[in-house]
Amino acid sequence: MAISQAMCTSFKQELLVGTHNFTASSGNTFKLALYTSSASLGAGTTAYTSSNEASGTNYSATGAALTSVTPTTSGTTAICDFSDLTFSNVSITARGALIYNDTQSDKAVCVLDFGADKTASSGDFTIVFPTADASNAIIRIA
Amino acid sequence: MFSVTTEIPSDFKVGVETTINRGHTPEEIAKMCADKLVSVSDNAPPPIKEQANAFKKDILNVVEYYMIQAVKSDRVTLYNRMKQAGHEQLAKAILGD
Repeated sequence: MAISQAMCTSFKQELLVGTHNFTASSGNTFKLALYTSSASLGAGTTAYTSSNEASGTNYSATGAALTSVTPTTSGTTAICDFSDLTFSNVSITARGALIYNDTQSDKAVCVLDFGADKTASSGDFTIVFPTADASNAIIRIA
Repeated sequence: MFSVTTEIPSDFKVGVETTINRGHTPEEIAKMCADKLVSVSDNAPPPIKEQANAFKKDILNVVEYYMIQAVKSDRVTLYNRMKQAGHEQLAKAILGD
């Protein structure tokens, strides 16, 4: 059991058949769910699973919706970004997360490994996405 | 033949900021905001790096200032709502720093 950070293989294939639309507002709804260190997630993950999803006060199963920023380009790289996501006033411990497409049958996008357990207690749990540029954006196609 | 790369580097770590028995402070949120707005490459030439970091510091100061003003302003709104609902003592506690 482990969380291996990866862009899901199924997502790469689904990009080529136009399954996912990251356009802000009019595109698909993407969600982020938190998982404990017991979760088994990686490149082979194809969809959201409730198995070993983190649980705690004020955290709802399936996670929370992300706010997409319409994809753009930086040099020759296409990039996609999300606004930072805060789970407010939660008591929860998580080791990683899964971003998935809530509109398209919960199809998986990518798995994030936090590197260690992260805990919020009666506080905020914020996922801080990197700067949206060709070197750092969360999703880049180069 | 063309190759398209969509991998997440194994050394990349998404940021996670947590708090215990409180929310994020305006200073913490301002830092997240500045980090999101300005990213300086480790490989950038020193003069450019220096200039970018100075700009980032300015951004941080401005955002932090307005974050604090926003919190203060919201507390005044909450104070008045609580006072109007008959909870004056609680309302005063909201205003206290």
